[in-house]
Amino acid sequence: MRLLLLGNEAIAYGALSGGVAAATAYPGTPSTEILETLEEFKDRFVHWATNEKTAFELAYGAALAGARALTAMKHVGLNVAADPLHSAAYTGVEGGFLIVTADDPWMHSSQNEQDTRWYGLQSYVPVLEPSNPAEACKMAKAAFELSERLKHPVMLRSVTRVSHVRAPVELEPPAPPKWGRFTRDVKRFNLVPANARERRKELVEKWEKMRDVAGEYVSVEGSGDVAVVASGVAYNYVKEALRRLRISATVVKLGMPIPVPRKVAELAKSVIVVEEGDPVVEFQLRAMGVATKGKLDGYFPKYGELDIGKVAAGLAKALDLPYDPPQPPKPPVEPAPRPPALCPGCPHMGTFYILRLATAGLNPLWSGDIGCYSLGINMGQQDLITHMGSSVGLGAGISITGRHFVVATVGDSTFYHAVLPQLIDVATRQVPILIVVMDNAYTAMTGGQPSPSRAVPVEKITEALGLPTFVIDPVDIKRSVETVKKAVEVVKAGKPAVVVSRRPCTLIATRKARRAGLQLPKYRVDPDRCTGCGLCYNLLRCSAISKRPDKKAYVDPSLCVGCGMCAEVCPFGAFVPEGRRDRWLELWQQA
Amino acid sequence: MATSIVIMGVGGQGVLTLARWIGEAALAEGYDVRIAEIHGMSQRGGSVEVHVRFGREVYAPIVEEAGADLVIALEAVEALRGFRYLKPGGVLVINKRVIQPPGRWYELGEVVDAIRKSWPKTYIVPCYEAALGLGSALYENSVMLGFVSQLLGLPMPPSLDERNQAAFRKGMQLFQEAAAADQ
Repeated sequence: MRLLLLGNEAIAYGALSGGVAAATAYPGTPSTEILETLEEFKDRFVHWATNEKTAFELAYGAALAGARALTAMKHVGLNVAADPLHSAAYTGVEGGFLIVTADDPWMHSSQNEQDTRWYGLQSYVPVLEPSNPAEACKMAKAAFELSERLKHPVMLRSVTRVSHVRAPVELEPPAPPKWGRFTRDVKRFNLVPANARERRKELVEKWEKMRDVAGEYVSVEGSGDVAVVASGVAYNYVKEALRRLRISATVVKLGMPIPVPRKVAELAKSVIVVEEGDPVVEFQLRAMGVATKGKLDGYFPKYGELDIGKVAAGLAKALDLPYDPPQPPKPPVEPAPRPPALCPGCPHMGTFYILRLATAGLNPLWSGDIGCYSLGINMGQQDLITHMGSSVGLGAGISITGRHFVVATVGDSTFYHAVLPQLIDVATRQVPILIVVMDNAYTAMTGGQPSPSRAVPVEKITEALGLPTFVIDPVDIKRSVETVKKAVEVVKAGKPAVVVSRRPCTLIATRKARRAGLQLPKYRVDPDRCTGCGLCYNLLRCSAISKRPDKKAYVDPSLCVGCGMCAEVCPFGAFVPEGRRDRWLELWQQA
Repeated sequence: MATSIVIMGVGGQGVLTLARWIGEAALAEGYDVRIAEIHGMSQRGGSVEVHVRFGREVYAPIVEEAGADLVIALEAVEALRGFRYLKPGGVLVINKRVIQPPGRWYELGEVVDAIRKSWPKTYIVPCYEAALGLGSALYENSVMLGFVSQLLGLPMPPSLDERNQAAFRKGMQLFQEAAAADQ
């Protein structure tokens, strides 16, 4: 069956036809759809884990016990799982173990451009790199056998333009899950120094053998004096750029760029290297004594994503050929930026507004985190966001300098993923910080995967740690401001406090309400009452509300979901409801 | 040679769906297809762009600047943002609608006139209006699909439900009217 599949779906179906038994992941763009696809298959263990390390450990443990296992994550997720990754190379595995990472060059939805292929070199784990969804499907399937043959974990590095590209894929039926059982072997699995030293020696020898294995993934196309080495998605741009430049070249395609096979160094003394991300292949080739023209010397850009034009320009430069592409046309009117914004009716919008009012005059430092609420940047309420857990981790670090009133905002999924250990530091040292958990019951930014917040409510944890905890409803703005003020007083007195702002993701709630046949209320502006003060569009910043040329507010009826937060903040009663809100608010709370 | 298309719009308008429909139609015609989607952060309310390429043999999944044969905009301000993708001689098709970006107000007529003047190969299509006529703004992408299918020589994709089929036919009709007006 030939279907248009997303690269991530193709990876999932590949793993299914490879007999995957256990699959785990923490959601993260551009990797999320791998596990989402696998979730449909109830005959295997499929689990959204608390973070990438716990996901990795579940899969690694299953593979130690002989099961075929997959763990998937975005590139930065592998940082969280890096500790067990390195050990997995030392112990090896019994069942096939496939680690899928999806890199995000040009950071469409990420904080950095990290190239996870480096991890392959650093941890001695071979890396497969597909160029398109069809290849990703085949590689994912074959990876389990390869891993079992090598008794070693195998990584598959995808990128946004493989994971989130839809292309024709030939589907194979799923194979039954392959389980196994653990066989005790203390010298192998217990990495105390005496054992680890022996494993290290083996690992170094194994790595040299893997160079030959990587040779099985080399394909050579075309002919000509010019040799171009291309890995992964870069191969596509090379094919089309060569055609555009009318150059005949020998294209050496690497399906396994880590480790670079010796064979490649034997093919040509001098090559052009095209790869997405860092010059990982180029470094290895230079170390083998091959003369290269690639990213190291700036033939291809060192940041961002490749495309046909960039590759054509680089090839032309390397070969000293003229290349004069057309210039992009300029629009007649500059388009105003349309940055991503919180959805209309998003509970985070209410929480930010409440926090602003409750901390008025304190000039708080807003320590942010990764999730939809990163968009608090639009309200000037996310001064720093660096990584999962930065809200409380870095916020506490800033607080101990004694000069700032720190408000740490974190979503529920990120709270469980990365904040629990910091919370204990905060509790044991009584760091004065206001921790605000924006609990919308889902991992919303990646499409609404389940979060542990209902099974293990935040306040149960924070109260167990002795942290004063206040629970609010973010659409109930006036009352919540008064509650948060109490938490602010605790922090002003030099102690930590926690606010749990609880209301499910609006996007999921509206979907459920429509399915239940509920007509959502709508709000409109009474132009006689609106004074154009701008509280709604400047401070609340509901994206259904815009500013008319006369400064008065306008609610786009196709966007309004009837949350009523605008009516709560408007001092002039200018927002008029059409339809009733109580039933909707109740259903929403249960979403 | 591949046909390169860039689709621009605002999150929630059905940009991804439109791209998938074009991809399905091209696949049904026996073409190779690549659709480059962007998920995640930009999904709601932000600018969204999706690239579609189809042809006998396609490799690259994305369209470079000045590389698109066709730019489709489901919204006029996003059409301005999509200008940079137009290749010399490329065609621009715009849904006649403005969704106001934060902090600035655009008059639809002014934007449309400016675009027409600076890029003569432009079609302004009342997809939004037609979709409302069919009962919901949700159909604006299927009206647009009907229109561009005529430009691209592609059939109706197999997965359209009845109401989207009606919207598709409306889009085809709008194309025939536009073509007649051109002559």
